[in-house]
Amino acid sequence: MNTQLLIPGVIFGLSIGSIFFLMAIGLSLCFGLMRIISLDQLLYYSIGAYITYTLTLATGNVWLGIVGGCGIAGIVALAVERLIFRRIYERELTFSMITSFGILIGGIGVIKFFWGVVPRPVPVPIEIQTRILGTEVPVYRLVVVGVAILVYLGIWLFLNRTITGKAIRAGIEDVEHVEGLGINVSRLFTITFIIAGSLSGLAGGLHAPLIMVDPTMGLEVLAFVFMVVIIGGLGSIKGTLISAFIVGQVVSIGSLIYAPMAQMAPFAIMLLILLVKPTGLYGSPLLKR
Amino acid sequence: MVNALRWWWGILLAFSLLALSRAVLPLPFVNEVVIFSIYTMGCNFLLGRVGFISFGQPAYLAAGAYGTAFYLFYFGTNPYVGMLVGILSGLVVSGIVGPLFVRLRSDYFALVNLALAVIFYYLMQKVLAGITKGDNGLWFLTNIASTPVLNIGRPNEFFIFAVLVAFGVWAFYKYLDDTIYGACCLATKVNEDKLKFLGYSNYRVRLLAFIIANTTTALAGALYAVYLGFVSPEITSPARAADPVVVTILGGTGTLYGPLVGAFAYTGMKDVISKLIGNWELFIGFLLVFIMLAGDKGIWGTLQPRLEKLFSRRQVGTPAGDVAEARR
Amino acid sequence: MPPDSGAAPNTNADDILAVRGLNVSYGAAKVLFDVGLRVEPRQIVACVGRNGAGKSTLLKCIAGFLRPDSGSVICNHTSLVGLKSYEIARMGIKYIPQDKKVFSDLTVRENLELGSYASKDYNWDRITGYFPKLKQLMDRKGGYLSGGERQMLMIGRALLGSPKLLLVDEPTEGLAPSIVSHLKDVLGELSKDAALVLVEQNLPLVCAMASKVYALKEGRIVAELADRESIKPAVCEQYL
Repeated sequence: MNTQLLIPGVIFGLSIGSIFFLMAIGLSLCFGLMRIISLDQLLYYSIGAYITYTLTLATGNVWLGIVGGCGIAGIVALAVERLIFRRIYERELTFSMITSFGILIGGIGVIKFFWGVVPRPVPVPIEIQTRILGTEVPVYRLVVVGVAILVYLGIWLFLNRTITGKAIRAGIEDVEHVEGLGINVSRLFTITFIIAGSLSGLAGGLHAPLIMVDPTMGLEVLAFVFMVVIIGGLGSIKGTLISAFIVGQVVSIGSLIYAPMAQMAPFAIMLLILLVKPTGLYGSPLLKR
Repeated sequence: MVNALRWWWGILLAFSLLALSRAVLPLPFVNEVVIFSIYTMGCNFLLGRVGFISFGQPAYLAAGAYGTAFYLFYFGTNPYVGMLVGILSGLVVSGIVGPLFVRLRSDYFALVNLALAVIFYYLMQKVLAGITKGDNGLWFLTNIASTPVLNIGRPNEFFIFAVLVAFGVWAFYKYLDDTIYGACCLATKVNEDKLKFLGYSNYRVRLLAFIIANTTTALAGALYAVYLGFVSPEITSPARAADPVVVTILGGTGTLYGPLVGAFAYTGMKDVISKLIGNWELFIGFLLVFIMLAGDKGIWGTLQPRLEKLFSRRQVGTPAGDVAEARR
Repeated sequence: MPPDSGAAPNTNADDILAVRGLNVSYGAAKVLFDVGLRVEPRQIVACVGRNGAGKSTLLKCIAGFLRPDSGSVICNHTSLVGLKSYEIARMGIKYIPQDKKVFSDLTVRENLELGSYASKDYNWDRITGYFPKLKQLMDRKGGYLSGGERQMLMIGRALLGSPKLLLVDEPTEGLAPSIVSHLKDVLGELSKDAALVLVEQNLPLVCAMASKVYALKEGRIVAELADRESIKPAVCEQYL
């Protein structure tokens, strides 16, 4: 294997892992706190990407587009939470899965309606490359990784140093208990959902310059995001970070070794891990079926 | 004799109606309905009876379809043998992944199945493109030999064959419902601890159900392959993962005739809607959310209790009728 | 004492809690039949009964974790039925569940911070006054506390906001006798400011503290002992 390709390969893996991580946090938190599977996070990812495209086209500034994508995705998430999820929190897990899948598919339809089916390109905001250990590496990918690290720190600070974050951590353990203390958990749910949606939108915006933006992009990453979540375990931020890293590297380095298998390797890993730990590396075994 | 008739009359009625509808509805429509309802039956059984939701049904559909396609493209010309190969492929695939998948919690289960569907899609589209011809698909319509009695290569006669197969599938599931195994399935959905204490293995019940349901799905795939004479990776595209779930819920989860009613309604809607709006996803997404929020009993699910009340009142003099009388 | 079911005949308008005709089911299974009770301010009322009699269900229903099929729960002229549990908690009615669950990933300090945040009461002196041990345990995570320590934390946390009614579900279950006696003293002190509804299996404790005892059997109130003479373990036993 060409060592010249190794460094870019690792960076590529880190950047794609970062994208997966941003989306997986939202999924993990939503499950941990609200006990819902929010497949519609993939929709907010797509929305983030599309808004980035449109704003970039309008203003010429990609960063503005990304920020806008993140924000609009968060607003859409808020709307969906208030209108739909609020009615289904009490129901069983599969209910939220089906409903959120419907939202995802319906949302794809809306995207098709407004933007059409033709894939759209988004320019990379930073075109320069830098030398690391003798090879050229795109700076933009490093920035993506940097953003992911900042987000991780931000989430950590939020969960451990703010009272709302502590309430969320407590809620992940036992929501009824938190409510019994006198805390309005419905507001906690909304806040968490908005965070999840915004992070997914950010992921979409960051990813947009690296791929072509098309209506089914959400479905294409769906399997990978879920493999990350399952391997890491639903409900654990640390697990998500680790498994995003693993999956990112496997896809990237794997494709250097043998391209077709690289996309399937995460699947094999997921199966292996599930064999040993049916709820993922750090998953909460709390729920029964 | 009377008892046997009573057992069969529901299925006989349903399928006679279906066969007769051929007189008023276009052939492609009814063929699609029949095959799709078999496809949905597998999902219906999993979701309604065992309590598993799977977003990966397309994977097993593809197993059946591609199994049949490979046989008919590369090996032989007998469509019956082809279908058998397809069914066996489905059996094998679900037998291999079953032991692992079935142990998982319901949300992980749904997701790993979805991952499987995506993997299959990728496999068929890119990895094995050498043998599957990738996105171009496998065309083998001309390979299908004429068969005696019913030439299922021809749509008209295929329809008769499909109805007979569906009839058999329904009879099988109805029979299953009446057995102890059928009761176990329901029990494992409702209260797995109690079932464990009774001495049954939840795992074995679920594994068998998984294999049965997905083999049924593969059968539908095999039928699609023969009917269309062509298979492409699109059959297992993740966008189609919602289809059987929507139809199951639309028809009425866990009911016997739900899949038929659902398939009918769904295919009908698809025909009508796609003439009006091109945007299929929009429609199906909102439909799904709407049914979920409105009440997930489905069409047949809401009709069934009322029809049952109607009939039990008529049958005074039979045990059911007497009890109904006594209650009043 | 004739069994008293349903409506409490002499409902005093000053009652901190008045429950009448409460019927509760879990799905199709009915658990409480026509239950009623009255609690006056700063009174210690006990609810005794065998396992499965419905005592926890009763408390959960009052605290808003369960919806009754029918009946009324009134606190200071406000109906509690249909309110969310956090709204009820904010009214000064705190529920302390049986399972001694504190948030295991949060430290003692963080557990108390949550309580303060909810009740807007940041004065922890009262709490550490009752439970001095908590001061030493401030930075220990809830998951590493012993049963007794967890119980102290739960009660301490519930005291934030100066509640006027505490619903306590089997506080002494599984605890060492020394801790039980400490708790008994604490609960006694608490009742100077708040009414207590105590669900307990420990009859001697109950009879030493309560001024009124309700006996619950298979979901029905079968006895109401309101005078001190009759509140004795032997008498309670009869009704169980």
